Amino acid sequence: MSISHTPRQLHFNTFLYLTGHHDSAWRIEGNHPERRIDIDYMVDIARISERGLFDAIFAADIEGGPSKWLEPFTLLAYLAVKTRHIGLIATVNTTYNEPFHLARRLASLDHISKGRAGWNIVTSGAEGAVNYSNKRVAPHDERYDIADEYLDVVTQLWDSWEEGAVINDKAAGIRYDESKIHEINHTGKYYTVRGPLNVSRPPQGRPVLVQSGSSDRGKDYAAKWAEAIFTAQHEINEAREFYNDVNARLDKFDRPPGSLKILPGLCFILGRTEAEANERHEELASHLDLAAFTANLSRRFSVDLSDYPLDKPLVLENPKQADQVDQVRSRHQLVLDLIRREKLSIRRLAERHALGRGHASFVGSATQLADLIEEWFVKGAADGFNLMPGVFPQDLQLFVDYVVPELQRRGLFRTSYEARSDGRNITLRERLGLRAPKPVRSFARAHAHGPGQSASAPSALSSPSISSSVPREAAPSVLATTHTT
Amino acid sequence: MSRHNSTSRKLKLIAFLGWTGHHAGSWRHPSSNPNAGLDIDHHIAEAQEAERALFDAVFIADGDGWKSGTKLEPFTQLSAVAVHTSHIGLINTVGTVYNDPYSLARYFASLDLISGGRAGWNVVTGAHSAAEQFTRGGHPSHADRYEAANEFVEVVKQLWASWDEGAFVADKQRGILIDPARVNEINFRGRHYQVRGPLDLPPSPQGHTVIVQAGSSEPGKELAARTAELVFTAQQTLPAAQEFYRDLKGRLARYGRSRDDLFITPGFAPLIGETEAEARDLEHELNSYVDTRRALDLLSERFTVNLNDYPIDGPVPLDKAKSADDFDNVKSRQDVVLDPARREGFTIRQLLYRANGGHGHVTHTGTPLQIADFIDKWFNSNAVDGFVIEPPLLPQQFRLFVDKVIPELQNRGLFRTAYEGTTLRRNLGLRGTLPLAKAA
Repeated sequence: MSISHTPRQLHFNTFLYLTGHHDSAWRIEGNHPERRIDIDYMVDIARISERGLFDAIFAADIEGGPSKWLEPFTLLAYLAVKTRHIGLIATVNTTYNEPFHLARRLASLDHISKGRAGWNIVTSGAEGAVNYSNKRVAPHDERYDIADEYLDVVTQLWDSWEEGAVINDKAAGIRYDESKIHEINHTGKYYTVRGPLNVSRPPQGRPVLVQSGSSDRGKDYAAKWAEAIFTAQHEINEAREFYNDVNARLDKFDRPPGSLKILPGLCFILGRTEAEANERHEELASHLDLAAFTANLSRRFSVDLSDYPLDKPLVLENPKQADQVDQVRSRHQLVLDLIRREKLSIRRLAERHALGRGHASFVGSATQLADLIEEWFVKGAADGFNLMPGVFPQDLQLFVDYVVPELQRRGLFRTSYEARSDGRNITLRERLGLRAPKPVRSFARAHAHGPGQSASAPSALSSPSISSSVPREAAPSVLATTHTT
Repeated sequence: MSRHNSTSRKLKLIAFLGWTGHHAGSWRHPSSNPNAGLDIDHHIAEAQEAERALFDAVFIADGDGWKSGTKLEPFTQLSAVAVHTSHIGLINTVGTVYNDPYSLARYFASLDLISGGRAGWNVVTGAHSAAEQFTRGGHPSHADRYEAANEFVEVVKQLWASWDEGAFVADKQRGILIDPARVNEINFRGRHYQVRGPLDLPPSPQGHTVIVQAGSSEPGKELAARTAELVFTAQQTLPAAQEFYRDLKGRLARYGRSRDDLFITPGFAPLIGETEAEARDLEHELNSYVDTRRALDLLSERFTVNLNDYPIDGPVPLDKAKSADDFDNVKSRQDVVLDPARREGFTIRQLLYRANGGHGHVTHTGTPLQIADFIDKWFNSNAVDGFVIEPPLLPQQFRLFVDKVIPELQNRGLFRTAYEGTTLRRNLGLRGTLPLAKAA
């Protein structure tokens, strides 16, 4: 297939978020904030993204929180029917979802979309507990232990049906080859799940796994499980450090370079000229509530800023540090670093925060944005971006109409969606250049390794919570068939 | 020629589709597509056919087991089906025991918004076998399940009602997106669930998802009388259906509800042929596809012995049947399956064929006219408000129903000739709001 012969290409997702990633997007003329829950509006965004040849659309979520947007699975299943190529990545929290339900919904979305499903794994979610009978949300590090076992269960469930398990021989009266359908009998510290799943093997074998934590533990977790990382990186040097750090951890988990795509968030306001972009940004900034922002800042860092001048570079006396907070530590640190490094005033910090909530942000022309993207891409800071248009749909349209062609001219981005020789569309996994997943369990493990590799998994890959599995008979070598490159 | 005027009471018809049909042998019939379960285009085409025939809704019965076939997960399936339909209701079965009220309220609210107000929730508690998939020590008892289910449904209804009308203000001038005074915490504190609310989504065009209930045991009926707007049930005979209808409708007043706040639609598996002989032939053909030994193993779960040890054309050993009380799970189904054998003196083979044909639901084999007569009779005998149609073979038998039976029902003035609206609630003729009990 041709994708292995073309030079390294950028990957883009559209990060769905209300009617724009700028906090004031809804205030400007022509923006319809009530359409955040309008499925036709979401279809428009998906179709613009598909016109731009993006890899995927990404649905964020905060379960039990105040998010007020459509639930990701129902949203993405609808969009699956309305699109043909684009990947569909759902954010789902491990705290409030049973692994069986989640494995099933993702497998179902993968079947409906013919291999375009992805899962953004989120482990936090303390703010939702009030709506979930005060379910205990484990502290930061234990959440990763739980999530580790969770992934073990979910991937086993996807592996519980081998390729070729469905026979449907009418004459012989045989529906399934039951030797290819396996109970997983997982008994771990946090989960007990018998299996098998009630959906047969997903077209991708395994939906693409995405993760977004940036703490040390989060990075290890990503290096073990994730195939793409959505991360918040302010500027290129930090981003390169992160990129190198995460990639260096892959070896520990017996994973080759390139098996994990790093896609920082990138929030942008575009104009046909730089001046036009600045004008648009100023209008958005004029709607910000600086008093409320100052109060939030005071709370966040336990420092009283109510009398601090809005335009004086901010110096925080004894701010609360990241290791003193339990939720989204990495985001907390990001803001501290930003204040220190760029000596921003409260007003500038508010403007920066409003534009992407701590992700890399940009205001300018299409060519300037293409320059920024190219620089991050070629200097080893990113494999692509999780795109966060400041205002939907305008900034997305401008990106597709002006930035995409510029990147195509530079040979950095695909000029059409790749297809198989038989005309079928390729999967999200294939588009991202990812390998077929290694089956996690003994009944499949014998076929998971290429020639020359050890058949027993290195210890780093097995979590302490792997169940006492019943050995399975060897299955025919049909499991790793989605790998096509 | 119409016997009724256009404003008379109309049948509620729900299409229970999916996979190859309700007959256990349907997947082996040459016309069926055994890979249909995972094929979203198949599900969309079936729902479109049901919509052309003006059915009130399509219905998915869900479960966590795999032996009934690999299939799509219902929320994702129905959301995808919503893309290519515009009037028909989308009813999904979700159990309370292994789900969470906030999540469930949200899934339905989202499906309801996406479909423009067409979602329905068939409330079940959950199957015993599910405990092994969800990190639970064991499955709660029948009584405990229903007690918790009452609370669960109450939480869900309160969450659906947590947004007042017009809460989405979107006032750009004043910078007010949502009026906080019109979005209310529910602060539910029950024995089983504690939920603050509000839900994170506003109501859909139908107000709230329609609540369906399917248990027919005593606590099941009580839960239905209190909360359900549509009841699915298995009734094998007209007198039994009349008794159930009288009983359940009679319970409504206790909860301050009227007889038109709840509709009863038993399952019905019609086997249709252009002639009676053709229908019988198809029935025999479908029966011939069933693996008798395996099916008898399954049926034997209702007995203390294995039916394979008895002559298949001999009498059913009814003295070896388990009592309904031995079944903690789907209690009411035991009597439904065995009563016809008691009543009609079935052989084992006859019992098996009856069970294959409608898994406990009433079946009728005949011409389109005979099927219409059957429906007409039950509908006009204070026994049902309509039916959940369970075609034994898909798509062939459903097409016959749509092409031959529906027009006959319309000619008799028993069924609509156009949708009344675009929401499920409107088409069923239900009120716009749910009865809300006071929080415990």
